[in-house]
Amino acid sequence: MKISLNWLKKFVRINVPDDELVRLIGARLVEVEGVIDESTKYNNIYVVRVATAERIPDTHLTLCQIDCGNVEVAGVEKNDEGLIQVVCGAPNVREGMLAAWIAPGAIVPASVHEDAPFVIGKRKMLSKYESNGMLAGADELDFGDDHSGITEIDPAMAKPGDLLADVFELCDLILDIENKSLTHRPDCFGMIGFAREVAGILGETFTETEYFQKTKAIYGSENSISVSIAGKDICSRYSAIVLTKHGEMKKKYLTYMDTILSKSGMRPVDAIVDVTNYLMLLTGQPLHAFDYDKFVAVGGSDKPKIIVRLARAGEKLELLDGKEITLLENDIVITSNDVPVALAGAMGGKNTEIDENTRNIIIESATFSLYNLRKTQMEHGIFSEAITRFTKGQPPYQTLDVAEDAAAMLSDGFKVTAVADEYPHPEKEITVKILVAEINQLLGTEYADKLIIQTLENVGFGVKNHRGELTISVPAWRKDIHIKEDIIEEIGRLLGYDNIQPTLPRHMTANKNKMMILKSDIRETMKEFGANEVLTYSFVSERLLKKAGLDANNSYKIVNSISPELQLVRQTIVPSLLEKAYVNQKMPIDKFALFEINKVYRKEWGMDGENVPVEKMQMGFVVAERKNNETAYYKAKKFAEELLLKFNIPVEFLPIKGKNADNLPFEEKRAAEIWSGEHYIGVVGEFKNSVKRNFKLAEFLAGFELDVDKILELLAPRKINNNFEIREKLDETVTTTGSYAEALAEMTKKYPNAEITPVGIYQPEDVKARNITFHIELMV
Amino acid sequence: MEELSELKLKLKNLNAEYARIREIAPEKRGEFGRELNAKKMAILEQIRLAEEAAMDVEVLPLDITAPCAANEKMPELYSCLMGSRHPLMVEMDRVVEIYQLMGFDVVESRQLDDEYHMFDSLNFAKEHPARDGYDTFRTEEGLIPPAHTSTMQHRVLKMYKDRLARGEDIAVVVPGRVYRNEDVNATHEHTFYQCEGVYVSESCTMGDMLGILREFFEKYYEQKLNIRTQPGYFPFTEPSLEFMIEKPKTLGGKKGDYLEMLGCGMIHPNVLKMAGIDPTKSHGFAWGGGIDRLVMLRYGLNDMRYFESGNLNFLREFK
Repeated sequence: MKISLNWLKKFVRINVPDDELVRLIGARLVEVEGVIDESTKYNNIYVVRVATAERIPDTHLTLCQIDCGNVEVAGVEKNDEGLIQVVCGAPNVREGMLAAWIAPGAIVPASVHEDAPFVIGKRKMLSKYESNGMLAGADELDFGDDHSGITEIDPAMAKPGDLLADVFELCDLILDIENKSLTHRPDCFGMIGFAREVAGILGETFTETEYFQKTKAIYGSENSISVSIAGKDICSRYSAIVLTKHGEMKKKYLTYMDTILSKSGMRPVDAIVDVTNYLMLLTGQPLHAFDYDKFVAVGGSDKPKIIVRLARAGEKLELLDGKEITLLENDIVITSNDVPVALAGAMGGKNTEIDENTRNIIIESATFSLYNLRKTQMEHGIFSEAITRFTKGQPPYQTLDVAEDAAAMLSDGFKVTAVADEYPHPEKEITVKILVAEINQLLGTEYADKLIIQTLENVGFGVKNHRGELTISVPAWRKDIHIKEDIIEEIGRLLGYDNIQPTLPRHMTANKNKMMILKSDIRETMKEFGANEVLTYSFVSERLLKKAGLDANNSYKIVNSISPELQLVRQTIVPSLLEKAYVNQKMPIDKFALFEINKVYRKEWGMDGENVPVEKMQMGFVVAERKNNETAYYKAKKFAEELLLKFNIPVEFLPIKGKNADNLPFEEKRAAEIWSGEHYIGVVGEFKNSVKRNFKLAEFLAGFELDVDKILELLAPRKINNNFEIREKLDETVTTTGSYAEALAEMTKKYPNAEITPVGIYQPEDVKARNITFHIELMV
Repeated sequence: MEELSELKLKLKNLNAEYARIREIAPEKRGEFGRELNAKKMAILEQIRLAEEAAMDVEVLPLDITAPCAANEKMPELYSCLMGSRHPLMVEMDRVVEIYQLMGFDVVESRQLDDEYHMFDSLNFAKEHPARDGYDTFRTEEGLIPPAHTSTMQHRVLKMYKDRLARGEDIAVVVPGRVYRNEDVNATHEHTFYQCEGVYVSESCTMGDMLGILREFFEKYYEQKLNIRTQPGYFPFTEPSLEFMIEKPKTLGGKKGDYLEMLGCGMIHPNVLKMAGIDPTKSHGFAWGGGIDRLVMLRYGLNDMRYFESGNLNFLREFK
């Protein structure tokens, strides 16, 4: 939303410099995304009188002598009568009119924000007529798209030599407002509401100036329009006024309204649409104009019969922009005797569009369910200024007033002949009771009663004070105020949160989070081991799971994923690491070990006591080397064993029994389950050949997947061995066809009070048995 | 192996069937083709699985209990000089530690949650447009990978409310991973980290909230900071604010260069009520902000995408 500071200043007395005002608006009302400086946009553009205008034969050009008052422009010569020569190509140029003259050296306003702004010069036309600058049209002045002629200025407003910027207050700053930060403030989507807030934050009382004329329109006798709302909660109020043409609308001069529409990011179009748009910018209440006669013809009734209802699935409607849409059951439609003529709040229909032949119009001023409109907006992709306002929940209190204002503004050419106002359940005034003490308590302030009351009254609240208990009546435009906290917010905000003194509450002793500490310890340990922690996405592709041999059906599936690459919630960590191993091996990095600790989910785990999916903390690890012919399994096992040893968890490596998501990528002949007593901790091993091939990884590759919740459950403080005096050291070799574990068990039996570590395993060629050498340290 | 050759034969026969299409009435050819394609896809998948299985048949078993293979060296860990921790996790630990010293407990956030915790329990009206602002992902079951750590607020309040009865305060921070359906660029990620804070007591004020936040940021950046606020809107806080700090000179900031660090506000009474806390007796405040941004500013990083890239050239910078 764009806010012109000059327009704002028409409604509220501003006693601070502009930059301070912008800061205050940012600190106390709304996020200001940017400030567009238009203070020099209309430099060197003057109001001039066309003194003479002679058609140049056989061309569309007119040779003009213009009177620019006392203005002297460097390099521009005046003739004996003090006039300046300009050639003009517009058909509407004529003697005596006031026009806008862009002097040589000035920039065409419509181009100021372009990379190369267009500078007007002095030039020869048809090689003999000197032309100084140009007489400008609305498009060049950035007041619309009209290129049919030059802009004419009302002699009642200006005289030759006046700066155009002075006449129309064009030296301006435009605030670019972040709409999202006003989601709950429909009233601030109109200048009156915005200005009221600005008054509030400056500590001024806001008075609705006569600028917003509430002149009651005079109604005709033939009150012949009917409105009915078919459907609960779809439309809280629908006001309609019928206007009948009684004269030509004089749209001859550039108006202040045109400049406001342009500065607010809209475009002047025609007299009727401009009035509806202008009033929307002023009040926040969108209006729509129907061609009365088309409306009646479409419905086949003799008088307009407006029915507001939900659309029926499959109904079609051609919109003003020429697109035909298929309506959905959620859409609210305006119908003429049940035939859809507009998509409520979003866009009018082609079948009732006003045009140059329109004799009678219906002005609609209504409020619709923001929930329905929000869906309509999404489903049909309509993001107009009107629907932006409706989806904030415009209040119904002012619909008729604004429609009447439109009638008053169009009274040159139209008179009111009928009015209807369907408002089945008028809104009741809300009151909130609060103690001054409660306000100060929550904010941590010491604001006086008087200041609080004045602050609220400044922005339209009614306040009664009974010994510090305030009874506050909420104005009709504040749909967001219901409870005490809402009032506290008003006070905190309007008086400035920056004025609240930061303090510290009483201090307590915190409990440690054991899982956070464990993860931190794992991270530190793995770093010491030379491994690298990575973070990978929680979402993976079906392709990735397949490559790792996992079942995609065990993953929760995202229905609105960014891409198929991010569609499934991961079940384990290792597949994501394999993918990153490829990236790094390709770089190339010859050897590395990656790990990640994160949460995983599997459908088979079902729901927990809160009826949300069971989650587990797992750790994945992958070690990969490009130039190593040894057995990778033992490398991964070494990392796992050393890590678990750090947490004093004794483990055994047992054959894999049965398949689960943890072990699916692993080659069961070269992988093991890790157990501590009766507790399963995870799986370690080499990967299946197919997995290695699928991830395009070199031969030396292994990893593990651990249950970190289980590690937390089992971890024990390290016990210091008091028996550390060594009596004797010796090495002993066992020759066996059995497993290492069996050999170790035998050794342990033989030397019960000893520390036994492996030295090496040797297997002569063509011999089945292996020689396992142990180092034994016997304790005292 | 037998299975594989059988499957290949099946595929061959099926391919031959395509020739029959000319005998089929033109209007039924589409259906015929579709059925045949489906069968073919199924067989191709079976062949893929069988081929993968075949690759693994030749694999030799090893002694899973041994410390090394026969005739090989004992395996060693890597040099600690190669190791690194992820900067986001290191910084998250620092963030948590600062809050812990200020008296806050820590509860980690979930990574898959439901509509109730993400929105309903936080006073978002049903179907309210405010829900759109979060660009949430959804699963087939309607579950939500949370778009903010506030998804834990209701749980934390319930978990800790007994403290209030004992005359103690609730002070908890919630770090966690969050997700938004956003296009990824240097300053936007669909996956990022946040830290939430929740404080409830009989007498806490908005001044206390501003004090805690200032204290946190000054400790985190290890210097005095200028802070600023602006009004915000969140359905679960009332009043709601955006909290900003002036970018410190030491980190390349200029005067007046304010950065939005987090959203905060006094907890909405409806949120307290839903968690079983009487809002007439206790009130509180909460805040939530991104960790990635915090870390990027601290290290002068300019591209968020590095964090989840898994690129070791980047990660090994963080010893």
